[in-house]
Amino acid sequence: MTKRVAIIASNGGLETAYKVLNIATAAAATDAEVAIFFTFDALSIIHKDAANLLTMGAGKEHYVEGFKKANVPSISELLDIAKESGVKLIACQMTMDVVGLTKEHFIDGIEVGGAATFLDFAYDADVTVTF
Amino acid sequence: MVAQSVDKTLDCKGLSCPMPIVRTKKAIEEIQPGQVLEVLATDPGSVADVKSWANRTGHQLIGTTQEGDVFKHYIRKADPNEQKPEAKHPHVVSNEELLQKLEKEPVILDVREPMEYAFGHIPGAKSVPLGQLEETLRELQHLTNQEVYVVCRSGHRSDAACQILTRKGFSNVKNVVPGMSGWSGPLEKITK
Repeated sequence: MTKRVAIIASNGGLETAYKVLNIATAAAATDAEVAIFFTFDALSIIHKDAANLLTMGAGKEHYVEGFKKANVPSISELLDIAKESGVKLIACQMTMDVVGLTKEHFIDGIEVGGAATFLDFAYDADVTVTF
Repeated sequence: MVAQSVDKTLDCKGLSCPMPIVRTKKAIEEIQPGQVLEVLATDPGSVADVKSWANRTGHQLIGTTQEGDVFKHYIRKADPNEQKPEAKHPHVVSNEELLQKLEKEPVILDVREPMEYAFGHIPGAKSVPLGQLEETLRELQHLTNQEVYVVCRSGHRSDAACQILTRKGFSNVKNVVPGMSGWSGPLEKITK
């Protein structure tokens, strides 16, 4: 029986991006169906300019060096893996309207939807995680 | 102990979570059921992760060894039919039926691993491990219209083999059940 994992990402920052994408790609590798709903600040994770938008919060700079030392993949690498393994990336339409972003601002392969689009997937989820 | 042969090696040295799992998943898709994948990793988290991953996906973690700071995980790819037993090859014969026909020297394919075959097989049976069946098909082409008996330990891998052979145009394939686990007839061994 295929497991289904529904993830809500609502925070920005490099740290959140890693939390979200690590869980998502690991779940997909374990044959789960995965969808991530990106809302509010988390939209920066799938923004074309994510490399500049995603930063470490003040006082957490030590992570950056640690990431390099541990040979952690880049966010764009993880996004590619996620897409390749069938993870659904859903951008929140409402947030986009509020901050004036359109689908063109985001990387290829994402979907745009509202809360109902995500809930439609999440209602049958076995695991729900919020970041 | 006789070493199990490795069919594919995946180098995940230096990679951190979740990459060993992500790469393992990809690599397992590139090998055949029954084949063994060796995963090399330096991430200590991979020890627990590979175990959980195998548990979830139904593939068999044969074991993990450690050499210096490198972990070696050995994973045997599960047959999709182990998870979906509903698709069965319809033509089966019992061990006894095969035993009675043995003096007519029927064509028997033993699809177990070489090690299992070496420790005892039906006289005259040809060793074709399930994982190598597809690449051996060319050698078996002359058997497409003959009666072919396929045997393994429990009837499971031989069922998968029968389905592959039938799909590839073999018209008279029979699964021997239960197979070697219940075989009381003559045995031939390969000893060094």
